[in-house]
Amino acid sequence: MTRVQQLLFGVASPYFGHPYFVTGHALYAAIARRVDAVTRRSIAVSHGVFVPCAYGSPVDGAVSVRPGSKLGDSLPAVEAYADLFLYRDAAHRWVSASRPRDATNTHPLQQYRDRVAFADAALFSRPADTEGAARRVSWAVHCYVHADDDVSDAVLPISEDVLDGLRVGGGRNYGFGELSLLDSQVIALEDLDYSRLHAADEHRVELVTPYVTASEFPGADSQSVPWWWDVAGRAATGGLRRRATRLVKGEDVYDVETIDHGQTVPYAGSDPVATARNGVTRVGTHSRYGFGELRVRPAGTDRVPERGEGRAGGDA
Amino acid sequence: MSDVPSEALGASGDAGSGDVSMLVAYRHDVHKLRGRSHGHGAEQFRGVRVNESVPLGADGDAALLSRPRGRPRDTLPARESWRRVPLLAGAEAVLADDGDDDVGDVGDAGAGGAAIAELVVSDDSVALHEAWLGASVPALVSESVYFPTTSVKYHTLLVAALLDNYRAGNAFEDLWLAVTSHEPGEVATVVPHRTVLVTPWFAVHVTAEPGDWPAARLGDVPARSFADVWTRLPDVPFDVDEQRRWRVLDAQLRRIRAWSTALQYIESFTAALDSGGSGTPVAGWSV
Repeated sequence: MTRVQQLLFGVASPYFGHPYFVTGHALYAAIARRVDAVTRRSIAVSHGVFVPCAYGSPVDGAVSVRPGSKLGDSLPAVEAYADLFLYRDAAHRWVSASRPRDATNTHPLQQYRDRVAFADAALFSRPADTEGAARRVSWAVHCYVHADDDVSDAVLPISEDVLDGLRVGGGRNYGFGELSLLDSQVIALEDLDYSRLHAADEHRVELVTPYVTASEFPGADSQSVPWWWDVAGRAATGGLRRRATRLVKGEDVYDVETIDHGQTVPYAGSDPVATARNGVTRVGTHSRYGFGELRVRPAGTDRVPERGEGRAGGDA
Repeated sequence: MSDVPSEALGASGDAGSGDVSMLVAYRHDVHKLRGRSHGHGAEQFRGVRVNESVPLGADGDAALLSRPRGRPRDTLPARESWRRVPLLAGAEAVLADDGDDDVGDVGDAGAGGAAIAELVVSDDSVALHEAWLGASVPALVSESVYFPTTSVKYHTLLVAALLDNYRAGNAFEDLWLAVTSHEPGEVATVVPHRTVLVTPWFAVHVTAEPGDWPAARLGDVPARSFADVWTRLPDVPFDVDEQRRWRVLDAQLRRIRAWSTALQYIESFTAALDSGGSGTPVAGWSV
């Protein structure tokens, strides 16, 4: 039984760290100093994806969310595999179109001297002559923790008291990057509904977080592109985008080469459900710290739901 | 396309008739620059025909890149202004009418009228394309009162790019988002009609012939797909490895779905960087 503990934190003060996400390593380091040695040694922490608090409806195979729900301030139930990923894509296609969607899902930026921080909330004021106060969009960070199989039952769930008030990113000793725990739930991956993956003949793999190909970190292996990524099948749309990043451990900074997140490749393996489960607990170097998170999709689906509407016709 | 006037359909390869249809693209939304709905738009502006239907469905397809299908609904109640709402305004994004609405209602003879004239009056469509790429006035106007973060500047450039690709015989599904980069101070790579954005560091193109430029397919049908397409690019046109400010921009572009909103965001972000010098985006940061 593989269990993951999903966590949703409110962003309680401006954030100065990695712009794409709060890295799993930053979250791991913040949690590790508050837990016992067994927990510290056995847990793995995903990257934290920024989520706006807004009304929305399920997309892309998610089944557990009621249309028009308030999202981003709680963790919806997870019944199907796709439900795991509701908050994992920064495009957040569930955000309702009844408000200016791109304004809701764009980080409000703040300037502190020569650096740009993500504000903890955006304020949308109203025209002066209308009723009602300014609308406030607050932000959250979504991540999940799992533990080595032999101690998982003992370690998870991590206590909510331990998790509240973590600080991540730059300036965290000066009040930046404070996270307040909003919600927590434990999910068994084996209990989820994988029927959409079973039903499909072909699949694609989406890199939800970067996949490490090389790391300066002591003892880290270099990795080639997994054989079950059909990169040749992707050649018509260019090569894989690579990106260099860093892993900070105490005083030391290690360069890490990655294949960047957000890209998709055709799946060339033979067991998409097993790959899907492994992709949640992540693959490759530094997977304990959030790298190598993958999502498997039926090949016929499109992560842009409107393309489906367009193919089905309808008036422009 | 039954309502497209047949004389406006430019045949590909024929410079004369092809050029006529490109002029229509740059002149088709003058009524928005003047703060009027299409039904109340004038047929003429300073002696040239404006607000005409764009052939080959380019206007409708470009609209679907930034707006949903179907009947539009107000996303900011009680606003009713053509003035674009900027996304890049710090934590206090003022999504409200800020009083000064003259951009959307410029007179024919005023300074606004002169600014519009530079964008539509010339008979040289390549010159009009260059004028739109560098224009500031249409960047202040949204492409729909219902979708106030969209930009009529980038809507128009997308219409032109689609039309130029379509008149050369390409379908939407043949098109790519392509990027090129250049050193600050050097001249950007500009493909007539197909370059949709130029910044001091890079340019963005919509074309059926990306060559060896980093490029990603737009997909088989037009949709608000910017974040998806941008995220699939095999390379981004700035150095995200070295500078956090480019990672901030990249992170935002993975979130923005409407094409004209995203292109306008890039323009505003890079303009803020540029005016702040090579170091930090201080001056002009709060647009």
